Amino acid sequence: MDWTRKHPGWAMAGAMVGLLVFLWGMAVPLAAAPAPIGPAAQQFVDGARITVELTLISGSAGVLIGVLAGLGKLSHFWPLRRFCDGYVWLIRGTPLLLQILFVWLAFPEILPEGIELSDFACAAIALSLNVGAYNTECVRAGILAVPHGQIEAARALGLTPLQTFLGVILPQSMRVALPALANNLASLVKDSSLAYAISVVELTMVGYRVQAESYQPIPVFITIAVIYLILTTAFTTLTAALEAQLDVGQKR
Amino acid sequence: MNTEDAPRIIIEARRVSKSFGSFQALRDVSATFFEGQVTAIVGPSGSGKSTFLRTLNRLEAQDAGEIIVDGIVLNDDLKHLDAIRREVGMVFQSFNLFSHLTILRNVALAPIRVRKMPRSAAESKALQLLERVGLKSQAAKYPVQLSGGQQQRVAIARALAMDPKVLLFDEPTSALDPEMVNEVLAVMRELAHSGITMLVVTHEMGFAREVADRVIFFDEGVILEDTSPARFFSNPEHERAKAFLSQVRHGY
Repeated sequence: MDWTRKHPGWAMAGAMVGLLVFLWGMAVPLAAAPAPIGPAAQQFVDGARITVELTLISGSAGVLIGVLAGLGKLSHFWPLRRFCDGYVWLIRGTPLLLQILFVWLAFPEILPEGIELSDFACAAIALSLNVGAYNTECVRAGILAVPHGQIEAARALGLTPLQTFLGVILPQSMRVALPALANNLASLVKDSSLAYAISVVELTMVGYRVQAESYQPIPVFITIAVIYLILTTAFTTLTAALEAQLDVGQKR
Repeated sequence: MNTEDAPRIIIEARRVSKSFGSFQALRDVSATFFEGQVTAIVGPSGSGKSTFLRTLNRLEAQDAGEIIVDGIVLNDDLKHLDAIRREVGMVFQSFNLFSHLTILRNVALAPIRVRKMPRSAAESKALQLLERVGLKSQAAKYPVQLSGGQQQRVAIARALAMDPKVLLFDEPTSALDPEMVNEVLAVMRELAHSGITMLVVTHEMGFAREVADRVIFFDEGVILEDTSPARFFSNPEHERAKAFLSQVRHGY
């Protein structure tokens, strides 16, 4: 962790390269492992990739949703505020599994004819909306933590409200919000496993299938757990490095 | 100092009033400020002097009355506001430097964003201004790495970067440790001699006496005295002003 703080740029690059090398290279050691792992190596690799894709797509969309809804919650325009309040209330008050099932089963009835969502897309939408709601609160707290004097200084210099937001408020609020956002991202890696319920073949689903074929749950689930641990470690290293990067000029 | 042939009016306040809830901070305040003039605004806490200063670039909107800056009426019209904020710089009691930006970026930000100056030109101008306040060597540091006095000098350079016609100072030395007050006052003294229009809300009576062309004494939301420093400090007209002066002189 100390090393990450001192060299955030290297840590970020390292985590990203590590993640890619792991995704491309994990097939080699897995294939060399004895049955039941070895024969199913490619399935593990594909499952891990789907999990990472779900995490990256929903994680990015979730941050965007979190920033927009976090701003919306602080808006002076009350219908927008109420809408964002309602969104967070709805998502945080219902199970993620229900949300995934809802998008998968109910969206096709709501959406106009001709638009078809893949299982993967349904899972990504539900996960984005879910993590977005939790991010909303983090972003809102981050924005509220920016001292009012910063905003006054920007306004007094003639910056427009948009320039003030993008140039002063957002970067400073992210420093505060990032640890909580990183926490949500780590949860997301694991929450993405619920996509197995709508037949997305992600990592947990792969584990379930392989142990069902081999009748050997212990080695299979241990392998899955280790892969999850490596993925979450890569993501948390990435976010910790980003945190250190944004932390410049901050009082410790 | 600058009273030669028909000075031009730069700010005109007409019957300005402002309340915060039931507290009336300003009552029908009228004042005219001329180009090149250095005005010290003094008075007890809560007398309305800071509020008055903050209405002049609309960090506070007045409830009644009219403010005209360099011929432009100050109102909610964003074009007017932008134009005025480019002409009126402000230095705050708590510095309000952008904590996520280096000293150089703090000074160069507004010229780049608001004046659309090329980055290299804005940064070389920022370096010149930092040299003027004696902090060129600190350009790559972040605000937290500087002392209070240094931060306030950077804040002055940041305000100057927009080439304002008027500089507003809201108790610029009140948040400083005593040994740092003089370095800020020295910069302000140099500015005053350069001919820029300055309005300084201050408790530094020595500075007001020595540098200001004019002293305005606020009490309970009205201007009680508006006179020369010599007259104000040697022979104030009102009992309230006498009482105030004896209080602030007490520590001398």
